[in-house]
Amino acid sequence: MNMRTYVTVWLGMIALVAVEVLVTYARPSPGTLLATLLALALVEAAVALLYFMHLKYERRALLWWTVPLVLFALVMLDHVWPDALRLASLRLH
Amino acid sequence: MSATTLPLEESPLGIPSHKLAMWLFIMADGATFGAILFAYGFLRAGTPDWTKPFALWPSIANGCLMTVILLSSSLTMLGAGTAARAGQKQRCVRWVGATMLLGVFFAALHLREWFAMFHEGWGLGHNPLGGAALVGSTFFGITGLHLLHVVSGVIALGVVAWRFQRGRLGSEHIETVGLYWHFVDLVWMFVFPLVYLLNAR
Repeated sequence: MNMRTYVTVWLGMIALVAVEVLVTYARPSPGTLLATLLALALVEAAVALLYFMHLKYERRALLWWTVPLVLFALVMLDHVWPDALRLASLRLH
Repeated sequence: MSATTLPLEESPLGIPSHKLAMWLFIMADGATFGAILFAYGFLRAGTPDWTKPFALWPSIANGCLMTVILLSSSLTMLGAGTAARAGQKQRCVRWVGATMLLGVFFAALHLREWFAMFHEGWGLGHNPLGGAALVGSTFFGITGLHLLHVVSGVIALGVVAWRFQRGRLGSEHIETVGLYWHFVDLVWMFVFPLVYLLNAR
């Protein structure tokens, strides 16, 4: 990859940040805002992983070994945290 | 046959061991930040008197500037990797220096914001707006952990660049420390919208 490609990706990332700020001040509902910001952050993360961290140019095995494992851990965390809140409020069922 | 001449099986992932170690660290650290952000999300959703502390000026504007600085530091780090692969040692060190400078600038802006908030009465257990104290503790907790990563990254970049310049480390080590730096940038791509923008007044 040459610097021109990197600069294009960098400009694209800055544009995505600008979109995030514009969406925030368009004052959508909290749920819509959260979903939009998360979707844009995931796009930025994917671009950073593929281009900045070179996963696009490494062996596919590295991508399939790293990303699904982290996503699995995060999804499991998402299931465990509500349970922690339930225990905190001492509601056993 | 000595141990050093034994034929080694090629890595199935096609990367050297130090890069694999960095990926393992990034995966673990990614799960750590994920856990903290999930915890923040549940706390925020479950706290009825959550207050939104950030006005467009100066907080969100400062956050935008910090984001652009961190993204730019990723670009200079990519420049360092490109120069290192091309065998341009001095040029690579200059790019790493620019990355470190941007990292220090980011940390300085962050600390300035923190001290302004302390001055307003914010703290780990204090909310001057009268709402939940969790607003301050989650904000300082999450951004503090990220700031720690930025400061560690600046130090790591300095050490690796210094050893690279002296010929003790190769270009692949510049790429490996660059992975860490890009990861710090990637985490901020979640911290900025979830911690700042979701709490914009």
